[in-house]
Amino acid sequence: MIGSPDVVAFTREDEYSQTNPDLWVLPEEFSIPLHPLADSNPWAKTSYAKFTKDFILISEFSEQVGPQPLLTIPDDPKVCGTFDLNYFSLRIMSVDYQASFVGHPPGSGYPRLSFVEDSRVVLGDSKEGAFAYVHHLTLYDLEARGFVRPFCMAYVSADERKIMLQFQELSLRFSQASECLKAGNRRAFAKELQRKLRDLEYTHSVLQREEGLQREAGPQCMYSAHAVEKANELANVEKSIYEHRDLLKQISSYHRHPRRDPHAVTCQKCVTECLRECEALLEKYAKLPVNPFTHTDKVRKGEEGQGQTEDEGGDAEVEEEEDDGIKRRPSYTPQLIKAKSAKCFDKRLKTLQELCDETFYEATMELLKETERSFRGDLCYLHTRRLDRALRRKLRVTDFLFEEELNDDDEDAGTLRPFCAVNHTADNYTLINPPPIVLGPEPVELDALEPPDPLDPALETSHTQESELGLRESHLDSSPSDQTLETQESSEETKGSFSSDKSGMGLAEKQQSVACMKSEPPDPDSDLTPDHNSDLERESSSEEMETTAGEDDNGGDQTPVSLLEVISELEASREDECEGFTEEVQSDLLVPLDTACCMAQEGFLYEASAPESVPRLGSGSHPQPSQNQVVNQEPQALLPIQDDYAMGSPCSESPAAGLELAVGLLSDAVSRASVEDGSDCTMSASTGSDRAASPVGYGGVVTLRQRKKAGQGALRFVRQYPFAMQALWCLLSGRTLVVLGADEGRVRRLVAALALFVPAPGKCGERIQAWLSCPFTLTDLQRWKLIGLQRVASPVGSSMIYSLSRYSRYIAILDADQKTLRCPLYHGEVLSNIADHRTYIRRGSTYFLHLQSTLCRLAAKAFLFTFTHHLHLPVSSTEGPEVVEGRRRCFLQEQLGLGEEDSQILLYLSQLITQHYLHPSTRSSAAAPCFSFNYTTSVLYKI
Amino acid sequence: MSSGCPPQSPAVAKSEVAVEGECPLLAATFAYWDNILGPRVRHIWAPKGDQLMFLSDGEITFLANHTLNGEILRSAECGAVDVKFFVLAEKGVIIVSLIFDGELKGDKNTCALSIILPQTELAFYLPLHTICVERLKHAIRKGRIWMQKGYNIISVLSLEIVPIMELLASMKTHSVPEDIDIKDTVLNDDDIGDSCHEDFLHKAISSHLQTCGCSIVVGSNPEKVNKIVRTLCLFLTLAERKCSRLCKADSSFKYDTGLFVQGLLKDSTGSFVLPFRQVLYSPYPTTHIDVDINTVKQMPPCHEHTYNQRRYMRSELSTLWKTDSEEDIPPDTVIHTDETFTPDLNIFQDVMHKDTLVKSFIDEVFMLKPGLSLRSTYLAQFLLLLHRKALALLKYIEDETQKGKKPFRSLRNLKTDLDLTVEGDLNIVMAFAEKLRAGLHSFVFGKPFLTSMQERDVLMSF
Repeated sequence: MIGSPDVVAFTREDEYSQTNPDLWVLPEEFSIPLHPLADSNPWAKTSYAKFTKDFILISEFSEQVGPQPLLTIPDDPKVCGTFDLNYFSLRIMSVDYQASFVGHPPGSGYPRLSFVEDSRVVLGDSKEGAFAYVHHLTLYDLEARGFVRPFCMAYVSADERKIMLQFQELSLRFSQASECLKAGNRRAFAKELQRKLRDLEYTHSVLQREEGLQREAGPQCMYSAHAVEKANELANVEKSIYEHRDLLKQISSYHRHPRRDPHAVTCQKCVTECLRECEALLEKYAKLPVNPFTHTDKVRKGEEGQGQTEDEGGDAEVEEEEDDGIKRRPSYTPQLIKAKSAKCFDKRLKTLQELCDETFYEATMELLKETERSFRGDLCYLHTRRLDRALRRKLRVTDFLFEEELNDDDEDAGTLRPFCAVNHTADNYTLINPPPIVLGPEPVELDALEPPDPLDPALETSHTQESELGLRESHLDSSPSDQTLETQESSEETKGSFSSDKSGMGLAEKQQSVACMKSEPPDPDSDLTPDHNSDLERESSSEEMETTAGEDDNGGDQTPVSLLEVISELEASREDECEGFTEEVQSDLLVPLDTACCMAQEGFLYEASAPESVPRLGSGSHPQPSQNQVVNQEPQALLPIQDDYAMGSPCSESPAAGLELAVGLLSDAVSRASVEDGSDCTMSASTGSDRAASPVGYGGVVTLRQRKKAGQGALRFVRQYPFAMQALWCLLSGRTLVVLGADEGRVRRLVAALALFVPAPGKCGERIQAWLSCPFTLTDLQRWKLIGLQRVASPVGSSMIYSLSRYSRYIAILDADQKTLRCPLYHGEVLSNIADHRTYIRRGSTYFLHLQSTLCRLAAKAFLFTFTHHLHLPVSSTEGPEVVEGRRRCFLQEQLGLGEEDSQILLYLSQLITQHYLHPSTRSSAAAPCFSFNYTTSVLYKI
Repeated sequence: MSSGCPPQSPAVAKSEVAVEGECPLLAATFAYWDNILGPRVRHIWAPKGDQLMFLSDGEITFLANHTLNGEILRSAECGAVDVKFFVLAEKGVIIVSLIFDGELKGDKNTCALSIILPQTELAFYLPLHTICVERLKHAIRKGRIWMQKGYNIISVLSLEIVPIMELLASMKTHSVPEDIDIKDTVLNDDDIGDSCHEDFLHKAISSHLQTCGCSIVVGSNPEKVNKIVRTLCLFLTLAERKCSRLCKADSSFKYDTGLFVQGLLKDSTGSFVLPFRQVLYSPYPTTHIDVDINTVKQMPPCHEHTYNQRRYMRSELSTLWKTDSEEDIPPDTVIHTDETFTPDLNIFQDVMHKDTLVKSFIDEVFMLKPGLSLRSTYLAQFLLLLHRKALALLKYIEDETQKGKKPFRSLRNLKTDLDLTVEGDLNIVMAFAEKLRAGLHSFVFGKPFLTSMQERDVLMSF
């Protein structure tokens, strides 16, 4: 008989045999997904994390409660969301990070402090989608078990790749923070030891006195139990004094132990200062034997004057400290230490803040906040930004055209340049093994900071003053941000020279202010930013050059002339053999390039390119033949032409030359004058208002952020105005564009948007006048390439209209109210891609990126045109300038495929590059190379 | 080293690996969390010969155990491989640990495969981290299958650990320097075509950029090969250059998966056999450049490459799953196929798409005088342009799709708006963007490609 269970078994076997092939199918857990999430959404990889953005977490392995989170940066609960910080702290702190012995080693009389190196760990919780760079460090605490308190600082991110790709930068930043925290902790620990020693000595004296009294009160040779107990207590206290003295000795010897961490970033000044303090304390307490009389006397005194207040006692302490030659510090009244200390779980452990000297703690927090800020955002943008900067450092020669100022002291360079969190100078830092850069800029940048003169007595003095205990707050008072503010003010002053109320500030006054700055003893806190002062000076001097152009000829010319001399010598020698030699001799500021073509280019620029050229303004007196020599003789001819270039350089021009411009003479002509031809400050002073002094409303150095914001306005402009392309062409080809309107806000917005297209706008947008409420002059047209002009219905308004109509041939006028544009026709194609009103680009930031790449390409073409030798130099001596000119035109049209109007853009950009390269002295002032305009019939565009 | 190391476990087996040259790797270990004894080391691999730093077996064991600390809390999904990276200044070492779960003696255990290097090699190792991790991860996938079957995982892991030791040793001597002197490259020639044919150079650089900067250069003359390797590396970032390798003058290195550019020398018969599997496992498609016959071939674009790679990996793992003897580990040279998948062995194809970006760059850069820094500056401008275009493209897609929440349907508009109407230009910029945002190709082109694959599969089944 076959029973039912057997039937079931039989049936199951059948099923088993059916499913048997499945055994050979690889289970999913051993395979890999064919379509992972990243394929369907590349942005989704980090979306399952429970926190919204990266943050820094500081955790502690508490001896009482185990791993616990202490604080997060930013301190906003929204950032962490529902992410379980407790669990994550447990995870990151449960790594056996040091495994070094701390405490009483066997056979040792006293507890030993172990100077443990930090360790760095990258780990993650793939299930939670949280990854972290964890920096483990140990602080000292007299109350803690083994005197150590393990902490960690973690950078928590949902993107594991972000952490690994930026590991070295993170490591450097956190090492700085850790060293700062530890330096502060050693200082606090030494102070704590000092207090403890005082307490112990006080206790010792009290006990000794009590023991003496008991001994006197009791029978001879007989010790009561109480007296024995007192004696034991006394012995314990004495032992404790020796132990604590030994600890003080150990912490003082911190600097002597060899560092095992090649990536540690130590500030020698911090180390030295802490060491000095510790040694002073050590010296003090080493001198004091466990002398019953020292404190006994004091105790007696204290008891005698029981009515004395604590303050008085404190004063006495301070006096005593001063007597001992140790610096003034807050008073401390010794406490009597009870025989039995509180139980482990009763005592309150110090907070992180209490464990560290306040100044150092604040500095560490500041450093961590800065770290969080600098690593904020998506990896691809951070990565590209770094690449962008690294590449741009090689492009100084064209970078000024469309890019914001690349500051060497900026955040990204800062990530790789060690500096002290409490504003010590960079040279104090010892990066034992500086990390090579993975993503960041060139290693050369590490040397960017010049070390201050170590022999400077003023520095030395201030250094000594600072090393006093508790007087460290001054370090933070003059932080680099103050310096920045000063620089900004200075730059505003520079701009203020355009306005009437500020033009009164004389050269002498400025010199005085600069001199004052120089005569001031150098602030050691400003050592971190030594460049700011020099920047300030540079700006001031550039201002001087602008305001007193006529007087400053010699000074202004010197740099270019000497440069040309060097260059010409090099050129001459280069024929012999060494081409690369140019690179070595030229100033560091210059990109080492061959200047032959560039110089010829300038010659070319000064020669009228258009057939209808007319005598140029102000430069009419220039000896033409020598310019021909530029073209005809290569490269020997360069030397004789230097004078010509010196004379022809912008600075040599008469300041009034531009004012004598007769409009009638200029009709149907291309006219050029140098920068200072038209720069008449007394005249331009009448044109500005207070607000106008601030270019584009930025009021300072134009930043990438501001430019990105302007991208939205630019996109709106392109979408709204079908003739946007014409307006952009005017700006890019050097024709001044006047935005006319009654509404200041609207005009300013338009100017801010259009400012993106102004080549070489200057560090602070000096070539842009956002709002002008009075008539402008020809000199203003030379200085400003984009002007926001107020439309007013008043006598002033009529004079403005007059000025507009007078110069309308040479400018483009965008009427913001009527929505019209008056400018020459543009038929080119280069700009069609950035000025297409049918574009599908949605966001301003995207449009800005697109614009950046297009302008970058234009700059590259201009660079190519400028530095392609054979274009600008005659092939044979029989070749005249017309042939060379023809070759250039041919290059623009056939090689680069540019039409007439597009060529004008490149010619203008090339002219700017030439000027910028050959006259580095005018770089900071963003002066126009020459005043050029090309009269062609304008047409009126309407929407 | 600390003297407080625990005594070495008597059961630790050790393999000494003979590696040519100086191997920066101190040791590799396989450890697991024993449910009774805690962390235990099962196997140590150490390079044979003198090293910069000596670690005793006890110290290695101590460090290996260290990597499993805290993993008792592990709550990862089954099959997940987590990476931990330690820089232990106290010990002067860096440890890379891959933590995974596996079955040992019938129990589920947490295991760790680790490699240990001196801390001084941090800068050398970091750029190579991703390559090592990805290769080890796949070895672990295979190892987990082996463990599941009750076999010894060590033999499977050895198949990848030894090549990684060799890779690191070769990179120590032949990696491309960060700072490449343009004088050592083709871009320093007086005129285009001096070193190599104009069209060949254009094709090589264009394809190199289209395949995300991943290329192999083969030839019989090491100088010629290395000149092209350096030229191609000019277009890479500093970190990527550190993941590139010059060819050896006397004998050839083996092909290594994951390197960006590698120079390989042909043998005496004038041939170089590329391992199909390793080339397919490269994170990006590869350009194959033969400097002897001036040919340039390239693998399909990223989305197709990734798809083929995954299918092949699945096929390989599946084959391993079906293996019924511990001795029968399929060698890497075997081409895996199954009922549903037959890999296309003709993975290198002609470069189909012409571009204007590289073309104009090549044409123009030779106009600038050589020997000065003009060409370097122009190159920097070109690279800046490409990086910016890639970022603009990425942002465009991000805006259009609300960060991937919606499918991308406006490729035509993108091409017009961002001036990428020429197919080759789009490929180059997409390749740059792919490196910034992995999976972008699959997101943009994946759907139509998958549909065509499915159609092909259906047709093949008839």
